[in-house]
Amino acid sequence: MRCERERIRNFCIIAHVDHGKSTLADRLLERTGTISPREMTEQVLDSMPLEREKGVTIKASAVRMLYTAPDGKEYVLNLVDTPGHVDFSYEVSRALVACEGAILVVDASQGVEAQTIANLYKALDHHLVIVPVVNKIDLPNARPQEVAAELVDLFGFSPDEIIFASARDGRGVDEILDAIIKRIPPPRAPVEPTLRALVFDSHYDSFRGVVAYVRVFDGVLSRSEELLAMCSMASFEPMEVGTFTPAMSPVSELCAGQIGYVATGLKSVRECSVGDTITSARRPAREPLPGYQPAKPMVFAGIYPVRPEDYPLLRDSLEKLRLNDAAIVCEPESSQALGFGFRCGFLGLFHMEIVQERLEREYGVEIITTAPNVELEVLTRRGELVRTNSPAELPPEGEIEEIREPWALVTIVTPAEHVGSVMELLASRRGVSKNMEYLDPQRVMLTYEMPLSEVIIDLHDALKSRTRGYGSMDYSLLGYQPADLVRLDILVHEERVDALSMVVHRDDAYRRGAAVVEKLKELIPRQLFPVAVQAAIGKRVIARATVKALRKNVTAKCYGGDITRKRKLLERQKEGKKRLKQIGHVSVPQEAFLAILRTEE
Amino acid sequence: MKDQGQCVGLYIHIPFCRRRCLYCDFTSFSGHRRWWQRYLQVLLQEIRELSPLRPCTLYVGGGTPTVWPAAYLEELIKAARAAGLGEGAEATVEANPGTVGPRKLALLRQSGYNRLSLGVQSTKDENLRLLGRLHTAQQAHCALAQARAAGFANINIDIIYGLPGQSLAAFREDLERALEWEPEHLSAYCLSLEPGTPLAEMVRKGLLPEPDPDLAADMYCLAEELLASAGYEHYELSNWARPGFACRHNLLYWRCEPYVGLGVSAYSFIDGKRFARTADLASYVRLPVAQRIAFSESIDGALAMFEAAMLGLRLVQGLSREAFAARFGVDPVALYAEAFSWAAGEGLLEVDESRVRFTQKGRLLSNEVFARMLPDRAG
Ligand SMILES: Nc1nc2c(ncn2[C@@H]2O[C@H](COP(=O)(O)OP(=O)(O)OP(=O)(O)O)[C@@H](O)[C@H]2O)c(=O)[nH]1
Ligand code: SF4
Ligand SMILES: [Mg+2]
Repeated sequence: MRCERERIRNFCIIAHVDHGKSTLADRLLERTGTISPREMTEQVLDSMPLEREKGVTIKASAVRMLYTAPDGKEYVLNLVDTPGHVDFSYEVSRALVACEGAILVVDASQGVEAQTIANLYKALDHHLVIVPVVNKIDLPNARPQEVAAELVDLFGFSPDEIIFASARDGRGVDEILDAIIKRIPPPRAPVEPTLRALVFDSHYDSFRGVVAYVRVFDGVLSRSEELLAMCSMASFEPMEVGTFTPAMSPVSELCAGQIGYVATGLKSVRECSVGDTITSARRPAREPLPGYQPAKPMVFAGIYPVRPEDYPLLRDSLEKLRLNDAAIVCEPESSQALGFGFRCGFLGLFHMEIVQERLEREYGVEIITTAPNVELEVLTRRGELVRTNSPAELPPEGEIEEIREPWALVTIVTPAEHVGSVMELLASRRGVSKNMEYLDPQRVMLTYEMPLSEVIIDLHDALKSRTRGYGSMDYSLLGYQPADLVRLDILVHEERVDALSMVVHRDDAYRRGAAVVEKLKELIPRQLFPVAVQAAIGKRVIARATVKALRKNVTAKCYGGDITRKRKLLERQKEGKKRLKQIGHVSVPQEAFLAILRTEE
Repeated sequence: MKDQGQCVGLYIHIPFCRRRCLYCDFTSFSGHRRWWQRYLQVLLQEIRELSPLRPCTLYVGGGTPTVWPAAYLEELIKAARAAGLGEGAEATVEANPGTVGPRKLALLRQSGYNRLSLGVQSTKDENLRLLGRLHTAQQAHCALAQARAAGFANINIDIIYGLPGQSLAAFREDLERALEWEPEHLSAYCLSLEPGTPLAEMVRKGLLPEPDPDLAADMYCLAEELLASAGYEHYELSNWARPGFACRHNLLYWRCEPYVGLGVSAYSFIDGKRFARTADLASYVRLPVAQRIAFSESIDGALAMFEAAMLGLRLVQGLSREAFAARFGVDPVALYAEAFSWAAGEGLLEVDESRVRFTQKGRLLSNEVFARMLPDRAG
């Protein structure tokens, strides 16, 4: 392959969720003939079954297109499609590093939204050239001129930079291609002859091991040369080098400026993780490329197998998922109530849901997830600062000097008519107003500071419902602030159930405690003795209920055929008993935990 | 008449009812008149083919055997006699009070049935309506008087308790009135809401209050008390009888003795095998004998011991350690050491030199004990 940098363009498509990134990518793939009309499906790059079902991009994907410009010259265009959901903004940042330009897509009927702003600023931070595109101009309620004016006013684009397009009917696509060639610069020149390729994503393939998605900055990445991942110091013989078309197609080498993949044959992503630099094993580069901050998980929860014997399956499945999704962190954890499992960290609640669904669907592990929480900082009386992401591990109240919780900066864009209702919502979530700005006469941008825990739970859904779906939000982490938090313990027959402990705001403890106790009372089967269910802060019980003793478990009729039926029934009961979790003397079916954890929130 | 051959209890299932009751999940069909004749013929054929087995008790149950003309039921007992059922043997027929009159009862008695089991269920019309029974309390009372007049000297009545909304006081009245009718035998069953039945659906939808199991337990204790003071012997978890009137046929079940069940969905137990006939009426009538069997299992080893112990414990006098040991070569108290000592510790079971029996608390919680006695399944 010829290595003409001048003929290469690397760009990504960024936008607010659902503004049409993946659909625009479809049109580009079509127009460049990368995908034949016969192979074309909608959002062809969203290849994961879950992405197709939810209509949302979860994982960034790269694709290489060959484009012959009107002037007759052939260009290599590398496109990176990115997810728009706020939980996956980390994926966006990674994609940005591999590119010189970004197409900023804005929906002509919705206008600028919270993630439009957030993602644009990220792209500008990386010094990317931005091509603003107003999309969906075919929609009857499109207001392209107003949206263009917003782009001009808010971000200082000049009116003639803005391209009007419809990813549905293909209008504007030629202009976009032209802008990619003319406005986005080719890759920078190599600064040294030795190979340096940045790993910006990866996936795991059982045949090829870890497949690293790379952007080559310096030198040449060749299949015939032994390679080294500079951070992990793992060396490997590449099994395959190639580009995405969008299927993986082998090439013999990738030159500086190009985007492609290298199949490393490595068995663990940790040996070749996102952000690492790949270099030549024989003549390594002196310094790695500036990598990324590792993804920072915001939400934590315990994940346990429903059937204890599935623990190895869960472990292996999580391991495999992490090969494809470096943002998941997890450590083994054990709970007296739920057995062996993992404490996992996620980018957000949506991310957590996706991991849960993938575990159950793609790997067939039935799992139970504890209530999500954020990571807390605890200053103990002895002056130690401890970080904990598990409520069960919070030191006893008496040893705590101060608890600090993470705060987030939340940006919300809402139609002006809903501003009152949104502010009310934010206030009820302990939000502190920082700024309010009219984007245009109809739309307002609110900036708030609030505890992260209030953001992650369901702020996004609550916002959507208060704004009839028109509100949008983005958030970023600020830092820790002292908070009046307490650990709420649940006791069954005087035994603490670790999996049900939660950290809550003191004012909320009574309500939450009473709710859980009532629910548990319904779910715990009656035992031969009365069972007390209590919610407590430290030693102080704040809510209680009693499960009455079982008095009757008898089969009324037992004649001919009833004997077999009854024995079967007893056998089922016995099977069921095997799955009971023993909390002290009380047997509780795991379903009870499942139900209570699923109804939480 | 033959008198050789193994003696078995003979159960005959008549799966027809005039109308389905709202709580019923037995195998039974309303209508289906056109099947009656053929079904009867198949049953008669099966009775004729019993040999070398010989019936020593007869129990015609349902469904509602008395939807049939007395003549059909007479043919059944005649066939049983021909197959070896002795003159003095217990021969029970179940009757729905709404389907019998003086004539039918007289005919049944004359044809040789000597025990009548009346599905009274309650002496209160409101309960009968709730259950969807087709008779009134008055009709039940009359049926009983008519049965007496017809010469039945061994009558059972069934009573159901634990109904949605039923109070303890209402149940006391119900039971006291039933006792005034002076049956020789009384079965009291706690209502179980079987999923899919209209009654269960009504409770599920909240149209009827959910029955309170604690209250049902109180009712059971009350029944024990009232029946004992009226001179009835409590001999099985749900059965009471005047001395000498325990149901011999049913005792065969609890003593793990052999029985043959004819008719749709009926179970048999012979030579360590339990098997069931198909519940499908059409195939039952059409298919050859061998294909009428829908299910079969071997009851041997640990399973046989478990069943013997469980059924034996259902009898109020309890399980005889000696008899069990004679049959299986092991003392049940040693075999179920863990379960029994747990149960004794919880006050559910009494163990003495000769027997193991439930306490009153244990009778109500018997399944808790049985579940702990279950052998681990092989395979
Ligand atoms: N009418 C019209 N609909 C469009 C256009 N572009 C995209 N859509 C529709 O908008 C919806 C979202 O499109 P996607 O391409 O999945 O949006 P996305 O930005 O990739 O979404 P995420 O990856 O979830 O952030 C889909 O239903 C598309 O069919 C357009 O130009 N006109
Ligand atoms: S009479 Fe008996 S078998 Fe017939 S429907 Fe009623 S309860 Fe069921
Ligand atoms: Mg997309």
